[in-house]
Amino acid sequence: DRQTLVAVLQFLRRSNLRESEEILRREARLLGDDLGAAALSPAGAGLLGAPGGDADSTGGEALLSRVTAAAAIAIGGSAATVASSSPGVAAVAAVPPGKGGARARVAGSLGPRLTSRAVSRGRFASFFRLSYKLLPYANVFAVGGGVVVEDQPDVSAVLSAYNQQGDPTLYEEYYSGLKHFIECSLDCHRAELSQLFYPLFVHMYLELVYNQHESEAKSFFERFHGDQECYYQDDLRVLSSLTKKEHMKGNETMLDFRTSKFVLRISRDSYQLLKRHLQEKQNNQIWNIVQEHLYIDIFDGMPRSKQQIDAMVGSLAGEAKREANKAKVFFGLLKEPEFDVPLDDEDEEGENEEGKPKKKKPKKDSVGSKSKKQDPNAPPQNRIPLPELKDSDKLDKVMNMKEAARRVRLGPECLPSICFYTFLNAYQGLTAVDITDDSSMIVGGFADSTVRVWSVTPKKLRSVKTAADLSLIDKESDDVLERIMDEKTASELKILYGHSGPVYGTSFSPDRNYLLSCSEDGTVRLWSLQTFTCLVGYKGHNYPVWDTQFSPYGYYFVSGGHDRVARLWATDHYQPLRIFAGHLADVTCTRFHPNSNYIATGSADRTVRLWDVLNGNCVRIFTGHKGPIHSLAFSPNGRFLATGATDGRVLLWDIGHGLMVGELKGHTDTVYALRFSRDGEILASGSMDNTVRLWDAVKAFEDLETDDFTTATGHINLPENSQDLLLGTYMTKSTPVVHLHFTRRNLLLAAGAYSSQ
Amino acid sequence: MEPAKMASPKSAPKDAQVMAQILKDMGITEYEPRVINQMLEFAYRYVTTILEDAKIYSSHAKKSSVDADDVRLAIQCRTDQSFTSPPPRDFLLDIARQKNQTPLPLIKPYSGPRLPPDRYCLTAPNYRLKSLQKKVSSSAGRITVPRLSVGAVSSRPSTPTLGTPSAQTVSVSAKVGTPVSLTGQRFTVQIPSSQAAVKSATPTTPTVQNVLINPSLIGPKNILITTNMVSSQNTSSESNPLKRKHEDDDDYDNL
Repeated sequence: DRQTLVAVLQFLRRSNLRESEEILRREARLLGDDLGAAALSPAGAGLLGAPGGDADSTGGEALLSRVTAAAAIAIGGSAATVASSSPGVAAVAAVPPGKGGARARVAGSLGPRLTSRAVSRGRFASFFRLSYKLLPYANVFAVGGGVVVEDQPDVSAVLSAYNQQGDPTLYEEYYSGLKHFIECSLDCHRAELSQLFYPLFVHMYLELVYNQHESEAKSFFERFHGDQECYYQDDLRVLSSLTKKEHMKGNETMLDFRTSKFVLRISRDSYQLLKRHLQEKQNNQIWNIVQEHLYIDIFDGMPRSKQQIDAMVGSLAGEAKREANKAKVFFGLLKEPEFDVPLDDEDEEGENEEGKPKKKKPKKDSVGSKSKKQDPNAPPQNRIPLPELKDSDKLDKVMNMKEAARRVRLGPECLPSICFYTFLNAYQGLTAVDITDDSSMIVGGFADSTVRVWSVTPKKLRSVKTAADLSLIDKESDDVLERIMDEKTASELKILYGHSGPVYGTSFSPDRNYLLSCSEDGTVRLWSLQTFTCLVGYKGHNYPVWDTQFSPYGYYFVSGGHDRVARLWATDHYQPLRIFAGHLADVTCTRFHPNSNYIATGSADRTVRLWDVLNGNCVRIFTGHKGPIHSLAFSPNGRFLATGATDGRVLLWDIGHGLMVGELKGHTDTVYALRFSRDGEILASGSMDNTVRLWDAVKAFEDLETDDFTTATGHINLPENSQDLLLGTYMTKSTPVVHLHFTRRNLLLAAGAYSSQ
Repeated sequence: MEPAKMASPKSAPKDAQVMAQILKDMGITEYEPRVINQMLEFAYRYVTTILEDAKIYSSHAKKSSVDADDVRLAIQCRTDQSFTSPPPRDFLLDIARQKNQTPLPLIKPYSGPRLPPDRYCLTAPNYRLKSLQKKVSSSAGRITVPRLSVGAVSSRPSTPTLGTPSAQTVSVSAKVGTPVSLTGQRFTVQIPSSQAAVKSATPTTPTVQNVLINPSLIGPKNILITTNMVSSQNTSSESNPLKRKHEDDDDYDNL
């Protein structure tokens, strides 16, 4: 067999396509072996790593690996094509290693001609597909696969996913056939099966575009794009602008969409129904696509209702697989360190934490929590290294505690007062706001690349004196910390120049010594708030950085940008410590968990991911938003996460179980700001529709049903209680709300820029 | 591209109407009118660049006229150069895996401000920021205010208003360290006759006294003019003829 095949291939080199076809077919029937077509169908995703290619290019050895990779990726177990050519494939694969190079050249010569042969292309595609798959078995992979280095190997790999092709004119038939089937199915199954429409539509359209059937693609789009769900309209608009194959190459998000599998959660009954239907028909392109591009997460149980499904879908990659949300997450808080602080006299009216009767002599006042037991949900103290507490930090904690004693207890009967800081004359240039934890300073990042810091209290901003002056002061005096400050330049406003693009994110450090700002120029800058100068520029993202935040303990900070990753940095490393890659589109919002062990990122691909700082793994994926996410807030107890997006909904998530536990509807425009009150009783949300809304968080999180079915499948029936949870709506005249902050005494501060239209 | 039926004003040229239609097709409904101009300019510049490149390629290939392949090649080369896109996903996953394998470094206690090694910091700038009226006053109109040399003047803004473009003050700390940027709303008003360069020339007072502010139209500021400072400023100015020259340049710029 091998020798004949070798002969065949050598002959092929010298002959044209038609003859080689004949020969191979003959040989194929001789061998008559259906080499595990079934085994090949799930092979698609696994072979993505190899460079693929478009059949138009004419590199020699390169082409074999490319085409075969392409073919392999495009394997969809298409019954018709596989059956006829698998024997031929087996033949090719069995060719001894020595002929690897020759084969490559052969494939190379065949490659360009593939394009011209519509009918046979399908067969050859599968031919090469299977040959590629078998190459590893035959141990010839090294030669073919190792060769290549494409300029854009990954792009080609992705694009080659569409090398397989059915008849372009029949695509509309296939799609409408499926549509008809689904619409005629039982009600209980229809909702679930309707999830198939969108990914199938997109993949079929892209296949047509890739294979350069522009007119068919257009008519396909025209006919069916109106049937899709309304929340996919933005994607469809982008898709409508992709009419040629060249357009696909530049669009990273669409490319990622192709390589990643769209996840659908379907009950077993519905799935059986679908599978039976698709397998009955022959030559069905849809079954190919389903197998190649969709990951169907099957669960046992009742099919979901349309309402349940609508709550969870919407992201660019479908829903999240159930096992993606099963990792253990330490959502508890770290124990506060205990240290002795002498109580001042004025504190005697404050509540003593221990509740003991007050005595005259100074008592130990421990800042830490009382319980000696480790919270099982809290991470170990040294799971990630954290900076030690300095004296100034301890003083700050004492101050925090004193303020906490005077804190107003909020609730449905006791709503917070809201103090709104309006930025005037910003001419739509205000792009980021942050307020320090003790509410003493407010910073604004602007589109003119400046960062402006204001003092909110009557105390002005002072910078440290210059070195010459510092040498003149008396270092032994008691008030040396006051003397080092320069009175002459004290002012309420300091402007920081340095960025070369609009500043999209700002963050104060917890100890108020540093300020971070991230900008469209791709850098994150660290500014000192003692000298009001720039200290470091962290370069890593080469694309706009959309958000940054300091860790609650200082020292670490996270940034997320257009390059679809979030990075964890430490102030004393010029390179990131961790890179969190996985999102399909820009990372628009990044927040630390209160225990600093996890980072939540919201993205333009409409998912929220929770990452572990220790090892960079993604431990949770939350889908359900229908637009890019712009705000995230962790509850103070660390158990829950609130997210807000351009769809105007605020979603609440239980981190421990990985479930959606609430949906707050009410805003009509993007929710740009979310904040929990200091004890977690109230959730405040601010939006582009010029309102601040207060929601009852205690009520939203009580009575969570977490029975076995829910935890197993992740499906929860959300009660329609948004109106009950809404405690108040407060409108500004025409100022979108960009930032919210609860002071230590539970006064709500809000910030936004007045826009006159 | 079909000509748009709807458009902005009827007098808009055909190109602008086409661009408006494109924006509409892509779902952009609200935009400032000058966006169309910017898009048209971009389109024109892009197309001419591509076509010029294509001409070069076709003449290199000794062809008589430019054909589609030349244009395709030109587009491909320019795309790699100007419109870079972020790295592809598996590359990112790969480097992420490498980065995430190293454990988090331990933190040394009591080490002062935690910053990277000096060569990666910006703590030693070799420049100072001078007055930035040019940047600031571009939007608002310029008013020539009769100039009086004034000493330390500070006006007190009533609210933390932003847009009053307070000019960046001149940081004229002569020799020492980090530039101190002043942002009070201060005025320098100079008497044309005296042409005094108001600078705090003495090295021991690093703070800047004068600021050339864009006299904006937004609102009058409270000005405290301490006239007794004038004489001292005059003397200091005479002692620095060189610096005065700088000031003169700025004056001309402001006029």
